[in-house]
Amino acid sequence: MKSAAVPTVFIIDDDRGMRQSIQDLVESVGLRAESFASGVEFLKRKPTNDPSCLVLDVRLPQMSGLDFQRQLAETGMRIPIIFVTAHGDVPMSVRALKSGAVEFLTKPFRDQDLLDAIQQALERDRAERDRQAEIHDLQERYGTLTAREQQVMALVVSGMLNKQIASEIGASEATVKIHRGNVMHKMQAGSVVDLVRMSDKLELSPRK
Amino acid sequence: MADEDVQQTLEDLSRELRESKARLEEAQRIAQVGHYYWNLIENCVIWSDELYRIYGLSPQKGPIDMAICREMIHPEDRDFVFRSAEEALHSEARPDIEHRVVRPDGEVRTVHALGSVKRDAAGRPYEMFGTVQDITDRKRGEDVLKRTQFYLSEGERIAHIGSWAFNESGHYWSDELYKIYGLDPQNGAPTVEQYLNLIHPEDRASMAETIKLMQEQHCGHDLIERIVRPDGQLRFVRAVAVPVVEHGVFKGFIGTTMDVTEQELLTQKLRREQAYLEEAQRLTHTGSWAANFVTRENFHVSDETVRMHGFDPSEGPVSFERFHDTVHPEDQAVVRAALESATRTGTDYDIEYRICRATDGTIRFFRSLGHHNPSGEVGEYVGTTMDITAQKRAEEERERLRRLEADLAHIQRVNMLGELAAALAHEIKQPIAASITSANACLRWLDRDPPNLKRARAAAARIEQDGNRAADIIDRLRSFYKKGLPPKREIVDVKEMIQEMSALFRTEAVRHSIQIHSELHEDRPRVLADRVQLQQIFMNLMLNAIEAMKDSGGELQISSRLTPDSHLIISISDTGVGLPAEDGEKIFDAFHTTKSQGTGMGLAITRSIVEAHGGRVWATANAEAGATFHFTLPAKGEANA
Repeated sequence: MKSAAVPTVFIIDDDRGMRQSIQDLVESVGLRAESFASGVEFLKRKPTNDPSCLVLDVRLPQMSGLDFQRQLAETGMRIPIIFVTAHGDVPMSVRALKSGAVEFLTKPFRDQDLLDAIQQALERDRAERDRQAEIHDLQERYGTLTAREQQVMALVVSGMLNKQIASEIGASEATVKIHRGNVMHKMQAGSVVDLVRMSDKLELSPRK
Repeated sequence: MADEDVQQTLEDLSRELRESKARLEEAQRIAQVGHYYWNLIENCVIWSDELYRIYGLSPQKGPIDMAICREMIHPEDRDFVFRSAEEALHSEARPDIEHRVVRPDGEVRTVHALGSVKRDAAGRPYEMFGTVQDITDRKRGEDVLKRTQFYLSEGERIAHIGSWAFNESGHYWSDELYKIYGLDPQNGAPTVEQYLNLIHPEDRASMAETIKLMQEQHCGHDLIERIVRPDGQLRFVRAVAVPVVEHGVFKGFIGTTMDVTEQELLTQKLRREQAYLEEAQRLTHTGSWAANFVTRENFHVSDETVRMHGFDPSEGPVSFERFHDTVHPEDQAVVRAALESATRTGTDYDIEYRICRATDGTIRFFRSLGHHNPSGEVGEYVGTTMDITAQKRAEEERERLRRLEADLAHIQRVNMLGELAAALAHEIKQPIAASITSANACLRWLDRDPPNLKRARAAAARIEQDGNRAADIIDRLRSFYKKGLPPKREIVDVKEMIQEMSALFRTEAVRHSIQIHSELHEDRPRVLADRVQLQQIFMNLMLNAIEAMKDSGGELQISSRLTPDSHLIISISDTGVGLPAEDGEKIFDAFHTTKSQGTGMGLAITRSIVEAHGGRVWATANAEAGATFHFTLPAKGEANA
């Protein structure tokens, strides 16, 4: 299930001329763009559910771009970031990229470099959003399982046979079979392999 | 008996008598003894021939008047002689006197006169008979002996030398010897046991052994021993004994004993001082020496000198050449030249050089001071040599640290400027980057089909805006010093500021052997200026001056004077490397530098500040050496303040 919404590029730069020109460049390729003078201003905006990315100036008044990146990560807000700076050094770019930045560009940059980075960032966000949506879906399905069914699912995923599971939970093999059938149905799993993959995505511990 | 026989007998007798008389006279002459008869009745005297000779007269016959006799006796002895004679006449005593006679030629002789009075039956004296012996020579011998003895004992007393003799006739000690040992001469010379008791207990055993050897083997000795006088006083004596052997037969010993306490204490003191000196030399790594550079020989070389050069003092003297050979090959020529020059002019010298130690070849730094001995031969020098390796190393370390410090200071300045440049770059980059991005956007709007002219125009307008913005930033930067932002103006006491700045640079200046002088004509030159910027001018110009002199040392002079149009001219002069030969104005351009590590900003900033204050700055070359930087500032009179 892919998001079809129009992606948005957010721009944070304290230099008005800079943020206006970036916004204009982004819009010139048909993307939506919104620009802000500071991180605080950006956080006031209602979070979007559409794919998006952030073009962030490193040198900002009050809080630097790098610090803002960390703050976003801490509050669990996942958004791909492209850094731009008038004077960047290697350690700074390494730090930014290690913290998950998509790209680190030095002003003045080639327009295509920025646009490529934006495309890449949006792609990454889209994929991430799809992954999040799938996990959300799986979590909903998992939520419909009874405690007994969740227990049986964990044991199936760990590779046990019905007989083993039966002795493990102290039930008859026939009962296990019924639980197992319910799990496969509720989780919409076509095979045990499918179920294992789902368990991984849900980050359930493989063995109780 | 026949007449002939009688005649013969008479003749024989007469001959015998003549012969007997002649023998008597001969005997008298040999013994220098004369005789006399004094006829008391007639008061005249008959002398023998020898007596005449004793009195310096030629023998005569017949009696001599007593008055003449009296005349011939030495005037000082005359009364004494006749008084003795008178006494003899009136008593039983026999005259036995010594007196002097004066010969006609004035010679004084000493005689020994004896007499015998003859009396008649009634006991009246009628004649005195006597002998007179010339004892002048014996007397002289006695006098010489007495004098010699006196001198000897005086000599012993003065020199604190006592003498002794030990032979079959006894054990003799001179007065001085008793004095040296603190003994009473009345008690006589001590026995061996008594003598040993006088020796200091620590020396007693060895002395007993020595005496034993003397007795057994008749050998002499010469030794210094300690004695303790009966009153407890400790003395050092040098005792010398030599055996006396006559015709191969041992006769005994003679010897001297000298009180050498003072010398011994002095010697001990000298030894102690020598030891202290040695120790001091060792501690300070300073050796002393005396040598002749022309004949190339050493007169004195202290142990420390020997050790410092890597030789072993216990292995005997080291030749001048061997010392000289230790000088480091690279310093040989310099040392030789210095010594030759000093020797030629007879002057002192003070040189530093390296040596390679004789034993292990270790390189050490030496400083040698030589003082020409003006009273000595040509090339005679006394001096000291110090091992200054430690100081040298410390000096090098200090120099290294100082250079490091200077480098750091420079790096700091460069860094500061780098930061400033980075800040500027950031400021200017923003609008430029924005322009480029806008231009890109503009092109993209135009490339669309159909082109979005409205958006393209908007982008182009932003390009213009940002371009202007960049220009503004540059203008603002230029006006930073030009018109101030806004300029802070206060009354500044230039004299006070110069003093402040001089104090600030004092340490740096001393480090480079630079003296800072100021010569300020006005009592209180004041200007209206930005204090911090004015400080920056002084700092830049003074730093430049110090940098120009840092290798040579020199003089930094700051002067000020007032021009007729009320401008204060401040001049900062150095005696350093001077101005570059090329166009002098160029040195004030930004990023123009003549220094290997200069930023090229100092003078440019200085000019900006000075011009912002309505002044002028220029440089002139000094006639002698170095350069002078001048700048003017409009002066502020006291009344306007």
